[in-house]
Amino acid sequence: MDIAQLQAYGYFGLTIFLVIVLYGYIYHLYTAKKDVDGVDYEKYSNMALKDDIDDTPVSSVSDDKEK
Amino acid sequence: MENRPLEYDYTVAKMFMLTTIILGIVGMLIGVILAFQLAFPGVNTILGEGLAEYTNFSRLRPLHTDAVIFGFTLSGIFSTWYYVGQRVLKVSMAESKLLMGLGKVHFWLYLVVVAAVVVSLFAGVTTSKEYAEFEWPIDIAVVVVWVIFGMSIFGLIGIRREKSLYISIWYYIATFLGIAMLYLFNNMEIPTILGQSAAGESGIGAWYHSVSMYAGTNDALVEWWYGHNAVAFGFTVPIVAMIYYFLPKESGQAIYSYKLSLLSFWGLMFVYLWAGGHHLLYSTVPDWMQTMGSIFSVILILPSWGSAINMLLTMKGEWQQVAASPLIKFMILGSTFYMFSTLEGPIQAIKSVNAIAHFTDWIVGHVHDGVLGWVGFMIMAALFHMAPRVFKREIYSKSLMAAQFWIQTLGVVLYFTSMWIAGITQGMMWRAHDEFGNLAYSFIDTVTVLHPYYTIRGVGGLLYLVGFLMFAYNIYKTMSARPVEEHELQNASPMGA
Amino acid sequence: MFHWLEKHPFFFAVGVFLAISFAGLVEILPNFAQAARPVIGTAPYSTLELAGRHVYIKNSCNACHSQLVRPFKSETDRYGHYSLSGEYAYDRPFLWGSKRTGPDLMRVGNYRTTDWHENHMKNPASVVPGSIMPAYRWMFTNSADIDTAYAEQLTVAQFFSVPYNEPVPMKDGSSKVVKMGKSIADAKAIALEEAKVIAEDMKDQDVKDAVARGEIPEIVAIIAYLNSLK
Repeated sequence: MDIAQLQAYGYFGLTIFLVIVLYGYIYHLYTAKKDVDGVDYEKYSNMALKDDIDDTPVSSVSDDKEK
Repeated sequence: MENRPLEYDYTVAKMFMLTTIILGIVGMLIGVILAFQLAFPGVNTILGEGLAEYTNFSRLRPLHTDAVIFGFTLSGIFSTWYYVGQRVLKVSMAESKLLMGLGKVHFWLYLVVVAAVVVSLFAGVTTSKEYAEFEWPIDIAVVVVWVIFGMSIFGLIGIRREKSLYISIWYYIATFLGIAMLYLFNNMEIPTILGQSAAGESGIGAWYHSVSMYAGTNDALVEWWYGHNAVAFGFTVPIVAMIYYFLPKESGQAIYSYKLSLLSFWGLMFVYLWAGGHHLLYSTVPDWMQTMGSIFSVILILPSWGSAINMLLTMKGEWQQVAASPLIKFMILGSTFYMFSTLEGPIQAIKSVNAIAHFTDWIVGHVHDGVLGWVGFMIMAALFHMAPRVFKREIYSKSLMAAQFWIQTLGVVLYFTSMWIAGITQGMMWRAHDEFGNLAYSFIDTVTVLHPYYTIRGVGGLLYLVGFLMFAYNIYKTMSARPVEEHELQNASPMGA
Repeated sequence: MFHWLEKHPFFFAVGVFLAISFAGLVEILPNFAQAARPVIGTAPYSTLELAGRHVYIKNSCNACHSQLVRPFKSETDRYGHYSLSGEYAYDRPFLWGSKRTGPDLMRVGNYRTTDWHENHMKNPASVVPGSIMPAYRWMFTNSADIDTAYAEQLTVAQFFSVPYNEPVPMKDGSSKVVKMGKSIADAKAIALEEAKVIAEDMKDQDVKDAVARGEIPEIVAIIAYLNSLK
């Protein structure tokens, strides 16, 4: 097997892999409502809407430090 | 001092607002001059025969593109970053002397680079590579400015209160990384003062001159990998960053789907870089690369439309706002033009279409419906939204804004329709053969036929420039308009009559 | 999965970088060495031609003129043989252009003469009625920068092994040696020799006088370059 053939198999395998990752990700997003921290995805939109300096962050950096 | 409540500090944002407007006027004015030079060649000597070297089409053309890309657009990107960045990370620039200082150095150094670019391009000092015309001393300065921009981004992120990065921040990070990578690789060059003669002389010739590291086909490949993606990371990614913040904020509507934004972001990042090959169809670049460029350009519709549809759906149930607010009009028309040009682009990237479209004015038209309709509209909308908040005053005139919107929209439509017709006309004439198999038209036939379209294009561009001057005036007057209360700034921007 | 990245800026940046650099690695790298080989008949630029090329670049001629003949009948009929990758082996930077406001110039040396260019640069519309190209009269008075052209020759010879002072195979089986001067004075003398040949065919008395005095106006250099495009 020469290098070009290896390359071809490599690209083919990679394409299949990427397609699986992509569709897996779409499916994952579609079914999951909340992320690992238990925050509803759509809550994150509030980062733009409630962005005054004294508004409460959606997930605060200081929460981590208190733990 | 100690008892004053913490506030966002917009000093640097304001500075860059100024350059956005000034360089916008310069870039667009040169653009209009260029357009009329093509329609009426006499305009080339507009300042007399003696200055013809500096006012003629070919000398001005790189100034136009660079003033709009690296002047107007980049200033707009910096300005919105220093505004949006603080807000969605919920941290003020006033909290860090270092970041504040960096921001100011960023601005002044940027101004120095702009001045150097203007002087060098007028003098004809250029590497000839599109959107990378600067010679090596300026390249180094550009890299320094860019590194400071990066430090500012990651510095602000480092002291943030909000743990998650908002969508806009992703796009700003991508802009920083993308341009950094592309610019570095495309501008690899060797200064010619390094050359040594057999007689032992060195440091010969112009000290600023350099020669590209890549030759011929390779150079073209790297240049268009850069050129295409400079568009990606200068005209698409950061502008998407803006609309993801300003549209929801101005309309008070949450993004239609946060999940969709995740998907379209990673899709765009992965796919965009592949599409550069479509600038080189039917050239001496290997066939498989051309095909790859074509295919990925078509795939690119998906993530682009993902963002655009997300924007339009954000307005779901709130379309009366589009009618009521000229500011929302700018953003909605902007995302519509984004959809339009991200559909037009892939169509032009199809090989058989490209055979006709390449080298013609259709490409010029495509660039301009993207830049005038999407980039320009979005940056102006962002500045309109920011103005009341950074100056704590209402926008001077709503009706002026509405008039500007319609004038500029007409300008864009005239521009791209005329270039569309001109491009296809010329493309078809170049390839036309008569019944004996001879070329049907000499080249000059295909030039003179374009005169009416060039004139219409000039008028379209002029209308856009007039609108932009109205915008500049409106922002200027805003600085002395009625002061507003904090609560008026929650969502929809306050506007005077 | 990805929402974790949004909370960890460093890994986020790494992720973005991987995603965007992937395409470049796959598309650009593999072809690099192959595309750089010159085809037979392609010779490096002489000092004067290179100075002319700099004039071409200085005035952004590439903003309106391409140097890329695509493999279509209509293009080969109009401009000559379609372009081959190796023909550009000595082009740093490449000058393909992206817009044909004027015609392609890839092989303009085959069908235009010194005389034609001289008249055309002075007043394009007098040669091509209806032309929208501006006149380039300052090229008749500005001096070409031979020093920088020579410096570039030295640089490409040192860093990229461009074959100056070596025989280069031509299409008819013969070979051609492109001379590069040993010193600045030598390089200027070589360029002036070439310039005299061009000036011979020109009409402009000021240009002829300048060349006789040992100066090289930009117009002479750019005509030398345009004539070399074949």
